[in-house]
Amino acid sequence: MKDLAVRLAALDADAGAALRVISYFDSLVEARAGLQSIVRGAAVLADCPARLVDRERRVHIRVSPSGQAAWLDEPPEETWLRTEVGPATLWLERAGPPGPVEAMILERAAGAARAVLDRTRGRTRTADPASVELIVDASAPPDVRLQAARHLGLTESGYAVALDNGARVLSGPLPTLPGRAGIGPTTPILDLPASWAAARVALRFAAEGTDEDPGEQVVHATELGALALLAEVHDQPALPDVKALAHAASAAPWMLTTLHTMAASISLRAAATTLRVHHSTLQDRITHAEHLLGWTVREPQGRLRLQLALALRRLQRHP
Amino acid sequence: MTLSVEMTPPPFDPELGAALQVIAEMIPPSLTADMIPAMRGGGLIPMSSNEELCRDGRLTLEERQVPGPDGAPDISLLILKPTTFAGALGCLYVAHGGGMILGDNRTGLADVLDWAEEFGLILVSVEYRLAPETPHPGPIDDCYAGLLWTAEHADELGFDPGRLIVAGASAGGGLAAALALMARDKGGPALAGQLLMCPMLDDRNDTFSARQMAGRGVWDATANETGWNALLGAARGGPDVSPYAAPARATDLANLPPAFIDVGSAETFRDEDVAYASRIWQAGGAAELHVWPGGFHGFDGFAPQAALSQEAKAARVRWLHRLLDV
Repeated sequence: MKDLAVRLAALDADAGAALRVISYFDSLVEARAGLQSIVRGAAVLADCPARLVDRERRVHIRVSPSGQAAWLDEPPEETWLRTEVGPATLWLERAGPPGPVEAMILERAAGAARAVLDRTRGRTRTADPASVELIVDASAPPDVRLQAARHLGLTESGYAVALDNGARVLSGPLPTLPGRAGIGPTTPILDLPASWAAARVALRFAAEGTDEDPGEQVVHATELGALALLAEVHDQPALPDVKALAHAASAAPWMLTTLHTMAASISLRAAATTLRVHHSTLQDRITHAEHLLGWTVREPQGRLRLQLALALRRLQRHP
Repeated sequence: MTLSVEMTPPPFDPELGAALQVIAEMIPPSLTADMIPAMRGGGLIPMSSNEELCRDGRLTLEERQVPGPDGAPDISLLILKPTTFAGALGCLYVAHGGGMILGDNRTGLADVLDWAEEFGLILVSVEYRLAPETPHPGPIDDCYAGLLWTAEHADELGFDPGRLIVAGASAGGGLAAALALMARDKGGPALAGQLLMCPMLDDRNDTFSARQMAGRGVWDATANETGWNALLGAARGGPDVSPYAAPARATDLANLPPAFIDVGSAETFRDEDVAYASRIWQAGGAAELHVWPGGFHGFDGFAPQAALSQEAKAARVRWLHRLLDV
């Protein structure tokens, strides 16, 4: 019985071969086949080794045309047929230019692999600043933004992430991010500029997580609520409560961490546990802090006032 | 019988399901008698040339005409010997597949040729007459006559007669199972094992899997009925079918050589093949059974590169290693 590769090779000149390639990979996607199956499909249908590499997500797959997993450390050759799958690359180990069937295999296998990578290996960190810039730019034409989104492997929706030194557009679960981050709401692709604006606001509320700047490093815009309005206040340093906080902070290195933890905990006992200090020690510290601030922080009213002062101070630090 | 359950077949393995779309263009799930001439002539089963079979000289090929059953024509045996071994370890006696109605003794030899090379086995592939032109018992009698000749000529062929294994896929698996029954009942030859790949065993064609897989995959109940009708005519499914035609009809499965049986979970033969293995165990025999999840009939031959196909092939090789103790 002739096998599939032989069948397709015989049909190479035939438009029917391209249709078979399409239906083969569509069927793999529908059955939620894994990366091995997809790369094997590319290798078998193209009748040459195929490999998929995504360094960031530690994917290294190479399959021989007989279907066996056969990784080789030798780097891919420049001349090989290739296509990008977000930050991953799919190669057919054969020199170009591609025939129509090979081009179809690359395109369809890449599409299938992208779906699996995003579903099973976590969303990519976008490594293409130019595309991200376009996607979040409301003044760019919609079709250009959609094309840039496809380039990054985004199909229907996504969310913007503002970092200290740049932007990302992602979808799916949030990956581990380095340092401070503001996370915008998930929106359709064309609404990503709004997600980006919200992410930048959220970033201002993100702390460094140090004694000088205690607090959460990752802040979601959707969790800010009316607090986001504070970002529109000008000249925070001049506000009396921010000045009082600065005065208290200069008195002891533990001050800001203690006040933040106290303000963010459901009880003093929980705050003491988080800070790893004795309950009575915490009581003493808070009494000292209240003296320096000029208001009590143990009552709901004073606690809200403290939370607002801490938020304003963070906005001041991250203009 | 709950209809809704029967209408929910096990899913095909993702890779095999993808390949099946192409395969279905060559071989539709249902075959009827009127399609037999077209299937035989349609290039569905390509003829392997002598050169292809000899694999760059690693095997030698001989075609021998040997006596057929009493009163019947001679039969042709295709004999392939590995040249890389000084003396052959044993012999694989193979009956080809094709639903009793298709194929020849050069069909589907790729894997058995691999084993011949790997283990140093002589391969004998029998050209039995096909149904419907030759109904039962013609095909199995041809196979048995060839097996007797092979065993009697072990010295001349150069293999250890204690290592004679019958093997086959699909209809060939059914014929190999029948050979094991005949060899037991007729006093020989002694067999070391029976390798039954997705074997076609039961003419009644009414198992749960036969109904469940109707219209799906490869060789559904309609195709199966076509094959059995060709072999047995009006007797199919009736009370008087010989176990040498349909081994599932055997009432006694004791004292058979060790069996290897494999089958896909998504094929007509699933339940009859599982039942055959179970009945061998119940009779105190040795059998190894593999049910490959999401496999359609003959999946490893149609899509040899698929992950599941590689596993199925590797399992047979491992069984041969244990059986032959090498």
